[in-house]
Amino acid sequence: MIGLGYTLPAIISVVVVCVLELAALRTGLFRTPAYWIAMVIVFGFQILIDGWLTKLSAPIVIYNEEHTSGVRFPWDIPIEDFLFGWALVTAVLLLWVRERPDREGGR
Amino acid sequence: MDRWQYLLILGGCLLITLPIEFFGDGVYRQPIRLLRALTPVLVVFLVWDAIAISLDIWRYNPRYVSGINVPFMPLEEFLFFVVIPVCGLLSYSAVSATLGILRNRQHKTADRSRR
Repeated sequence: MIGLGYTLPAIISVVVVCVLELAALRTGLFRTPAYWIAMVIVFGFQILIDGWLTKLSAPIVIYNEEHTSGVRFPWDIPIEDFLFGWALVTAVLLLWVRERPDREGGR
Repeated sequence: MDRWQYLLILGGCLLITLPIEFFGDGVYRQPIRLLRALTPVLVVFLVWDAIAISLDIWRYNPRYVSGINVPFMPLEEFLFFVVIPVCGLLSYSAVSATLGILRNRQHKTADRSRR
């Protein structure tokens, strides 16, 4: 329940992604409605998939509770997973929008 | 059958999002852009995951994984870091395409009302 192994790195990952965008990449992704709508969709699917992966009755991923906050919501999903997932998907999206489309003549 | 659970979930994610590829600019159709966006993030998260596994912060239930391993982790866990970002990109691509269509339609209606 100390959270050093998962809670802390999960929070740091979110901060790092935010700093990366605001200080270095400056893609403006956070100001686009498309990003936030997409993240709501991703969040919805994450609850379904992560809910299945972490359900305590038959878990696929087993967490050492010493390293998490112990808060699991909804179902048995450790809340840290949402920070982890947000950082993962957002980081890739940031690099994606920074890259030019493979076919030239795009935006 | 149980040991294919994690792999089947990942396969399901790819299957559900596949139709989006044919709607909008696509993600798989831009392999270079995909690789350049995915690889740096993949490396960071794989290192994080390998450290977490080695420190016993989380582990995988042998009942629900195939038993096929890549260095430091089950194959499924490696694939997770490819599949989930691709699904995220496809979702973003779908939303962008939809908003683009709506915007075009609005412009057309605005043009028509001006005439």
